[in-house]
Amino acid sequence: MVYIGPLEIPGRLIYDFLHIFILPGFGAILVLVILIIWAERKIAGLVQLRYGPLHVSRRIGGALQLVADLIRYSLQEFIVPENVDKIAYLMAPALALLFAVIPIAFMPTAPGIAPPIYVEPNLLLILAVISLAPIFVIVTGVASDNKFAFIGSLREAFLMISYEIPFIISILSTALIYGTLDLYKIVEAQSKTFLGVLLNPFAALVAYIAILRITGRFPFEISEAESELVMGPYTEYSGLMYGVAMGIGYIKLYVYTLLFSIVFLGGWLPISSTGNIVFDYILGNIILLIKASILMLIAVFLRSVYPRYRIDQAVRLGWSLILILSGAAVAWSLIIHLII
Amino acid sequence: MEVDRDSSNDFLSNLSQELFMIRETGVREEGERLIELQIGPAHPGSGHMRILAWVDGDIVVRCDPDIGFVHRTIEKLSENRAYIKTIPLVERPSLLDTTPITIGYVNAVEKLMGIEAPPRAKYLRTILAEITRIASHFYGIGILAVFLGHSTGFMWAFGDREVMIELATMLTGARITYAYVIPGGVRRDMPQNFPDQVEKGLRYIERRLKDWEKLFLNNPVVERRLRDIGVLKPVMARRLGITGPNLRASGVDYDVRMAEPYEAYDEIDFMIPVAEEGDAYARGLVRFKEIEQSISIIRQAIKKIPDGDIISPQISRLFNPLMKKIYAETRRVKFPSLLATLKPPKGEAMARVEAGRGEALFHIISDGSTNPYRFRFVTPSFRNVILFKYLIPGHRVADIPAIYGSIDYFPPEADR
Amino acid sequence: MSSQTSPQSTQMKKEDPDLKRFLEILNERTKDLNPKISIDKYGRAIYIEISNEKLHELAERLSKLGIDHVKSVTGVDYPSENKIELLIHAGSYLRTLRKYTIIIKSFLDRSSPKTRSLTDVWPSAEFQEREAWEMFGIYFEGHPDLRRLLLPEDFEGTWPMRKDFMIKTRRPGEVEGPWK
Repeated sequence: MVYIGPLEIPGRLIYDFLHIFILPGFGAILVLVILIIWAERKIAGLVQLRYGPLHVSRRIGGALQLVADLIRYSLQEFIVPENVDKIAYLMAPALALLFAVIPIAFMPTAPGIAPPIYVEPNLLLILAVISLAPIFVIVTGVASDNKFAFIGSLREAFLMISYEIPFIISILSTALIYGTLDLYKIVEAQSKTFLGVLLNPFAALVAYIAILRITGRFPFEISEAESELVMGPYTEYSGLMYGVAMGIGYIKLYVYTLLFSIVFLGGWLPISSTGNIVFDYILGNIILLIKASILMLIAVFLRSVYPRYRIDQAVRLGWSLILILSGAAVAWSLIIHLII
Repeated sequence: MEVDRDSSNDFLSNLSQELFMIRETGVREEGERLIELQIGPAHPGSGHMRILAWVDGDIVVRCDPDIGFVHRTIEKLSENRAYIKTIPLVERPSLLDTTPITIGYVNAVEKLMGIEAPPRAKYLRTILAEITRIASHFYGIGILAVFLGHSTGFMWAFGDREVMIELATMLTGARITYAYVIPGGVRRDMPQNFPDQVEKGLRYIERRLKDWEKLFLNNPVVERRLRDIGVLKPVMARRLGITGPNLRASGVDYDVRMAEPYEAYDEIDFMIPVAEEGDAYARGLVRFKEIEQSISIIRQAIKKIPDGDIISPQISRLFNPLMKKIYAETRRVKFPSLLATLKPPKGEAMARVEAGRGEALFHIISDGSTNPYRFRFVTPSFRNVILFKYLIPGHRVADIPAIYGSIDYFPPEADR
Repeated sequence: MSSQTSPQSTQMKKEDPDLKRFLEILNERTKDLNPKISIDKYGRAIYIEISNEKLHELAERLSKLGIDHVKSVTGVDYPSENKIELLIHAGSYLRTLRKYTIIIKSFLDRSSPKTRSLTDVWPSAEFQEREAWEMFGIYFEGHPDLRRLLLPEDFEGTWPMRKDFMIKTRRPGEVEGPWK
């Protein structure tokens, strides 16, 4: 059962505020995204026999480099070209960011506490909202009056279809094993049986590869291929919107890996509800964020190893191997569900 | 002597027609189905040139290289300068493998004047030429990696190239543009600890080549991106006049160092790596193998280098006593003023060398004054530009940087 | 590939039997075109001087002989004699002919230099002829795509590599106008 908490309004509102703005909401996003981008550049630097970011805050190894970058993007002149479709140009990245971040309000991240908006099939709701974000990325590319941005949007459209479908299939196939679409109950079921990774490894593999593609990590960094299209859909952006465009991939990575950790890695296990709300809240979130960070670090490390695929090779991979594996995941789930 | 021919006349005319045929898709109007992409000079994947590509969906239908953005009119400028002053000018276009280009020019001047460098100078020139050839190949490999998105390959290539540049600094005092080779010899002798440092550097490069193989050559994504892309058949390579590792990756084992040996190359044993497939992967692989061959050449040259003068006696005859003293003590050559304003006899001379990217040609026409009357200078990248027009159509947009990186085209060298 | 003597690249050549045989075959095949064939003293460059009308025929015969690519097509300006000399370097990828370079010279009239394009015999001449056209004004008839290669599109002025194109130095205060 889910412990809704004291039903008095102040307690609920305080918890909602904390969940959305501090942990695991915007505060955690800011801190984690800054640290993950720094880690990516540092890891890439160490593999490539150089230092990586070092200048900004020497004593902690340049970890505040991203803060300096964000300050610089905010203060830079924001140029809007003449021929773009102004409403779409200005709104689309913001809406993409919005739809990438909203699912956090639906996710239960601590034992015994309900998220701010709690509905029974919250897994389905999260998947539905998160799949809206790529549409606005496509809109940004078409709204900018630039051939390279247009080609970037087309690539994003192709890849969105070919990789979101296996992702949704694989996540739903694990829901098939547990027999519920509620994330809280999924974690409880994992505490009674095995972790999701062990129960359905096919689904975990497919979901992770799909996450790599959806968030634009190497080897699938195709829609923003720098040596072919200057920045993909975000070519014509400068200033703060450029900072948003750079950060969107990482924010999506954060949200997707949160989802992955809840469904496959057991969320806030091994702790369970102890009755003390504050203790549960902090510890549960921190454990979940640690699991998500490990996945993010792996995803980010691949930059140093692989170049990028060509669009037709990636689409072919999505429709052949990944789709077949996700079908295998469904079949496996059916077998396991009949056994358990 | 049997003059072997491998084609008859009507095959030739058929092939010419085939080469000039543009792939027909049925739709030619821009805006209807074709998009004209200008991968212009301000683009991360274009270098100092513009590639105009007409694209139908994702397939390139026609491609036109628009070069000339870094045209520095070297040929025209050399008509107003003395022969010695053109040496730094000739070095600048091909900024990565400067020494073979300088050797070519100086060979042409020496042929005009009828002097020859002593053997020790020839060996020193060969060692420096091979050092810069390794640096140039690393640059080419790095650019190929970064155009595919492989930033690790890019950083590693430039880091390894730094070892070679440090060695060159030890020998000549400058990092990239040395002006080390002068008519009659070289300007400095090698320092005492140079052979040991060279051995250390070469062993480091050999260790790094093993890492490269694991990360880059056996990388499955790299193989998917580069295999069977931009296949250049040997017949087409011959007809288009391609040169350098691009030609050797198509099966033709043509190398000027073996065909018309210059400097110390006919006393050193080396092989020419040749691949058969002619695709982009083969071109990258041939460059790696050539680095190994260059390492072997440098080792042999360091072992075999004879003692002696580093400047020809016809030039050192012109030294004044101060220059003779400096030469005897520190083995550095100071220019006598007669060399700076030398007047070769009237005539013409031609020299060919194998630079990092292929064959470079120098032709000097002299009318007896201090400036050349006409200086013709063809670089290998200028001869390889034609590959943009004939190799890219039929491939996808994402293959344009892959093919560009694999043919190792360097715009400043082509534009001169 | 080592030899007993020191590297021979700039020494006078001894008798080379391959070269003699090649020159014999060349003489026999191109006798009727009346060329002037000579070798330089190092024995590697073969100079052929020929008149402009017979240039294309000579190119066809050379390519049947095995000379399969062009390394350079350019001109040399002789304003005092009112001539532009067309200078073509050609070579071969065949193993027996690799060491030789054929240098073809042909004189064109300076007031309107025109010649027949060699791209149907040697496709490698395509970009070289474009450069020769934009630098000297030599018009190649039959070239499939004769336009500017290295110069910018808005360049105005006479042909840059001719001797009457002066490189001007700009003095302080002078405004740059189009080149003469």
